[in-house]
Amino acid sequence: MNKIFWVAWREFATTVFTKGFLIGVIMTPLMLLVVIGAMAWLKDFKGPRIHGTVAVIDQSGMVTAGLTKRFSPEELQKETEASAKQAVEQMQKTPVGEAMQGVPGANMEQAAGMAASQIAAGGPQLDLEVLDSAADIEKEKEPVKIAEIKAEGEADPKSANPRLALVVIPADAVSVKPDGKFGGIQAYFAQRLDGEIEDKIERRVQEAIIDARIENDKRLAAAGMNPTVVRDIVARPAVESKTLTKSGEKKSLGGLTMLVPMGFMMLMMISVMTSGSSLLTTTVEEKSSRVMEVLLSAVSPMQLMTGKIIGQMGVGLLILAVYSGLGVGSVVFLLKRMDLISTESLIYLVIFFFIAYFLVASLMAAIGSAVNDMREAQTLMTPVMLLIMLPWMIWFVIQRAPNSPLAVTLSFVPGMNPFIMVIRLCGSEPVPTWQIPVAIAVGVVSVVIAAWAAAKVFRIGALMYGKPPDFKTLLRWIRMA
Amino acid sequence: MQNAIELKGVHKTFGSKVAVRDLDLVIPTGSLCGFIGPNGAGKTTTIRMIMSIIFPDRGDLTVLGKKSAVESKDRIGYLPEERGVYRKMKVGPFLVYLGRLKGMDAAGLDTKVKDWLARVGLGDCFKKKCEELSKGMQQKVQFISAVLHDPELIILDEPFSGLDPVNRRMLRDLIDEQHKAGRTLIFSTHAMFEAEQLCERIFMIHRGEKVLDGPLDDIWSKYDPRCVFVETIAATDDAMVSIAGSLPGVREAIQDPRGIDVRMRPDADPGPVMAALAQRLPVRRVELKRPNLEDIFIELVGGSAAAIRAELSDLNGTADTTAAMQDTSA
Repeated sequence: MNKIFWVAWREFATTVFTKGFLIGVIMTPLMLLVVIGAMAWLKDFKGPRIHGTVAVIDQSGMVTAGLTKRFSPEELQKETEASAKQAVEQMQKTPVGEAMQGVPGANMEQAAGMAASQIAAGGPQLDLEVLDSAADIEKEKEPVKIAEIKAEGEADPKSANPRLALVVIPADAVSVKPDGKFGGIQAYFAQRLDGEIEDKIERRVQEAIIDARIENDKRLAAAGMNPTVVRDIVARPAVESKTLTKSGEKKSLGGLTMLVPMGFMMLMMISVMTSGSSLLTTTVEEKSSRVMEVLLSAVSPMQLMTGKIIGQMGVGLLILAVYSGLGVGSVVFLLKRMDLISTESLIYLVIFFFIAYFLVASLMAAIGSAVNDMREAQTLMTPVMLLIMLPWMIWFVIQRAPNSPLAVTLSFVPGMNPFIMVIRLCGSEPVPTWQIPVAIAVGVVSVVIAAWAAAKVFRIGALMYGKPPDFKTLLRWIRMA
Repeated sequence: MQNAIELKGVHKTFGSKVAVRDLDLVIPTGSLCGFIGPNGAGKTTTIRMIMSIIFPDRGDLTVLGKKSAVESKDRIGYLPEERGVYRKMKVGPFLVYLGRLKGMDAAGLDTKVKDWLARVGLGDCFKKKCEELSKGMQQKVQFISAVLHDPELIILDEPFSGLDPVNRRMLRDLIDEQHKAGRTLIFSTHAMFEAEQLCERIFMIHRGEKVLDGPLDDIWSKYDPRCVFVETIAATDDAMVSIAGSLPGVREAIQDPRGIDVRMRPDADPGPVMAALAQRLPVRRVELKRPNLEDIFIELVGGSAAAIRAELSDLNGTADTTAAMQDTSA
């Protein structure tokens, strides 16, 4: 037992106490944070402010006033402030924002103001250009065709203020047609105009048209309706969504719930693969550096293999603990959402980690002992890697339909089943109770078989040099020993 | 006194190839035993079976009074033929780790490792990485790993391979020292002169079968001089060899770079043969040779000496090293 401990300790120490490992373990989450942060930052970063005009041909003659108001600097200010407020409110609704409210010094009002000025500064500066209602549409399209989208200050004086859009509002868009319906409008945009700016222009025009309709439609007056009331009535209601749990009402998180099963599977895969592949590396090193037989003069092959597997299990558990600690910690303390991660799913994570680890480790030890160098190991590794990577490739399918025949079938396929089960168990749809012990049993049986076969291969392979064995030879070794 | 190692009818096959065939072997406690035979004779397989690294198909094996070396691994020091070091590990911690695996106590282990390193001239290497050491230095480190835990039985598989004459000398002294301390030592080699110089017992195998086993003194007295060496005045040619080969009492004459090796029939009297040789050939020197292990081996294995010579070709290849060895021991 003592010897197994020393083998395990050396295996653990030589893997963990290296610059590479420490950097890898610390850098990976750090890099993830940086990437996520960069993505969030880049999303808000709109580039230079766009400057240009929006031409309108108002054939109805009733929308221009509303449009002018909507494109006026005061209205624009109001609009950006409203959208900033909305953004802040949205943020407050998220668990992060909720957590932030408890943080002293985080002044939400101030944040809203800052967001508003930021949005206003970044938003496009659009000037309205009202054209004659009888203007030639084809002719007026020309400036849009040649418009070059330039940032403020960047444009040369000649082509300053390019016409970014032309909007044609036919009369029937405002005045009801004899059949009781309204007509549509046409909008022409310059090339390479940002989709969001197009939306903004369209939205302002649509709102101005609705206002014009409410103001001018005779049916409202005939029915004795107040335009203001009508405007309030047609406004879309705000939605406050919540999730009901046993412990009370929670705000809905949308995508986040979906990420938990994937996160757990990733966590397991990273820890199993890291420790599994370093087990392979150390075993191959022991063989290729010929230190194997020196070790076998002191310990038996079984002691050596057991020690190595236990040592690398420590490595895997360390990674699992560090990452899941970070993950669970951030969910619990930052998002204050204990309900996202149940104790049960953590227990399942550990159980299936052990199953996945021992299976992979046995295979890696067997492969490592059978080959002479890493290059030869690659050939034998491919099927193992495929088996493990498959759940990663199809996690979305499993996640979307955790009780589909495919998901249930794969839950009983050795090698894949720990990962598939973790996705299913951490998801929202309950897994039929009987499947859990059966999947665990399948896993345990596969581990026992793999460890048994690995022990046999290891005993022969450890001292076998020369031609690397193929699968047929490996099977012969298993039968032989 | 109890025997350190006993093998009875030990048999091992790899696939269709018989590596060791019904081997009987007794190694008395305290002896220094050379285990010789050409490459592929089954030496390493036998040693691995003694070490319980591989297991015989049949036969009985007793090591230090136990049925398996697994039970007494900590009392055995073993230097395998396929040996190496953890390249990235430091020399000191590597030896401490192996000492730990051999069940040594932590107390004093560092000091002991340092003492040993100083003894083999690697005193400054405790904190060096193994990969910084030359092959010969690594081999010394590996030797330390085999004797560090003061084992009762030391098995060295090809301990001299890859060493320069100075280090061979040092290793021979270290082996001798362990022997004088009362430990049982076995070392295998395919270079038979090394066994001749060092051992008190010889065990020889060929194609998995034992051909010779016993104290070296007994072997010398048992295998009477049956070989006469002839140095000719002029360069030796085929005619001279065939004349020597046709003399009465001569079994075989083999051309040697320096002259002719004349092997006699078991019943022949050396005197008349030597006289006949001096009479028939232009000799400078006629000498009754003490047979070396190689000759005995060839005699025992029988068959055509030329064929066996070819099989032993790598032994002839070590002729230069033999000369070097003799230089240093002089």
